[in-house]
Amino acid sequence: MDIYLPIAEVSVNAGVLVLLGAVVGFISGLFGIGGGFLMTPILLWMGIPPVVAVASEANHVAASSASSVISYSRKRQVDFRMGGVLAAGGAVGALVGVEVFRWLRLLGQADLVVSLSYLIFLGLIGGLMLVESVGSVLRQRRGQAPPKRRDRRPVWLYGLPLKVRFPRSRLYISVIPPIILGIFVGILSAIMGVGGGFILVPAMVYILRMPAGVVVGTSLFQIIITTSLASILQAGRNQSVDIVLATLLLLGGVLGAQFGARASSRFRAEELRALLGLIVLIMGLQMGLVLFITPEDPFILVGSGK
Amino acid sequence: MVTPALPPPAIVAPEPGPSVSAALTDANVRVTSAFSGAQIVLYGAVFDPETRPSDVVVIVRGPDQPIRIARKVRVAGLWVNSRPVVFEGAPGFYMAASSRPLTEIASFSTLRRLGAGIDHLPMNAPEEERIETRYGVRDVVVSRLGGDYLEWRRAVIRLKEKANLYATDHDGVRFVDRGLFRAEIDLPTSAPIGEYQTEIILFQDGEAVSRRARTITVEKAGLERWLFLFANERPWLYGIVSVIIALTSGWLASVVFRRR
Repeated sequence: MDIYLPIAEVSVNAGVLVLLGAVVGFISGLFGIGGGFLMTPILLWMGIPPVVAVASEANHVAASSASSVISYSRKRQVDFRMGGVLAAGGAVGALVGVEVFRWLRLLGQADLVVSLSYLIFLGLIGGLMLVESVGSVLRQRRGQAPPKRRDRRPVWLYGLPLKVRFPRSRLYISVIPPIILGIFVGILSAIMGVGGGFILVPAMVYILRMPAGVVVGTSLFQIIITTSLASILQAGRNQSVDIVLATLLLLGGVLGAQFGARASSRFRAEELRALLGLIVLIMGLQMGLVLFITPEDPFILVGSGK
Repeated sequence: MVTPALPPPAIVAPEPGPSVSAALTDANVRVTSAFSGAQIVLYGAVFDPETRPSDVVVIVRGPDQPIRIARKVRVAGLWVNSRPVVFEGAPGFYMAASSRPLTEIASFSTLRRLGAGIDHLPMNAPEEERIETRYGVRDVVVSRLGGDYLEWRRAVIRLKEKANLYATDHDGVRFVDRGLFRAEIDLPTSAPIGEYQTEIILFQDGEAVSRRARTITVEKAGLERWLFLFANERPWLYGIVSVIIALTSGWLASVVFRRR
């Protein structure tokens, strides 16, 4: 059934959107990520204008993260205090990001920055994840012991002022690194239409040294706050949230997320990480490809100046 | 109350000389959630006491929409967009249908004067222009695009044609019977909202001898209209509502699944 979207002003197949939402929701529940990095490019390929895709996707990510965060919170796997600090940074980042995106659009450079961000961040993180997890899967197969984790805590993390206790993460660190991390992820979520889980999760493990158990739940909690805010800001400043599009996506998304969360216990953590790394890497390369291919038509319409 | 019997409508004697008349099957296009483009049929007749060879041109012009176009340039091995150029005065939809190729119907200057045909659309890029004195002549309009201007203009038309928003149809006007003709107007899904001016011009011997104007209105209707107005008139409330929907449905899904 084709349906005309009131804000995007294009006609799309409603069934396809619900199905896509479900598939991306499943992946999101499986890996404990928002899934925006998958959905936004798909929406762009379907012909949804980039501004609307990015803004409506923030809304969809908020829904699927809310769907899975509750089960993490029941298992006491959410560090609300750390999530709150990250989200405070995320709020500032989202404010900045929405304005940056507005400015880039006026310059006609929004597409370029979106493609470049995907290529750099997804390519880098996907590649690192893949290498790291394939390495550990291979080591396990050969029966080798995992390499000793360097537990020497970095001086810069502990030497900074404004220290706060995070009991659930068993940390006593300065709030400055998490706030900066939050700002960075907030900007990305406004520009790329993603929650930023794929950056937050590794950053929490490797930079903030949080225990693996609380990382995914805390990241989802912070993503809900950042994407909700980004969504309200995009609607208020750019009038670019398509509520029909977002609702169709989240119909499938919230259900898919629940099934994904259940399926996740059947896989090994390293295998899941390898698979996610592969998906992230492919997505990044696919989005970045447009920068290297000689365009069919040297001219491009860059949308109305709305 | 009895209405006085009206005299039968008098048959209006055709004006001296040839004239053209036309009507649309649908002058009001409603964009609802089921909208997937529209086809409007225009039919009309040529009245001519003598039987001179007649040509009919139908021009449909949608609401003006500034066009932003950029050129892909290669910077350090990457294809990036140049600074966009804004064209003004270009319609968001344009169709020129005729019974023969326009160039065979009338001369260049006649077509230019009537604005008939895509080549005669009066669009320009005012932000790229500056007025200066050249060779002692004052107030010369110079475009920063220079000799590339035509290439940019052609690109606008090419891209709009690809999106089915601009069309030239050399045999879009068909005579189905003596003096009776029809033309089809295809509006794609992306057709802009607003008033479309439709002009029907009768040509004889390369001159426009009669003209008729009709208006098509394309408007959002029903839920589409309500949501569009909500998003544009109360944007902050709209944003908050959309987030509430998202968070509630996420929460509901997790509650429903927990019960099982």
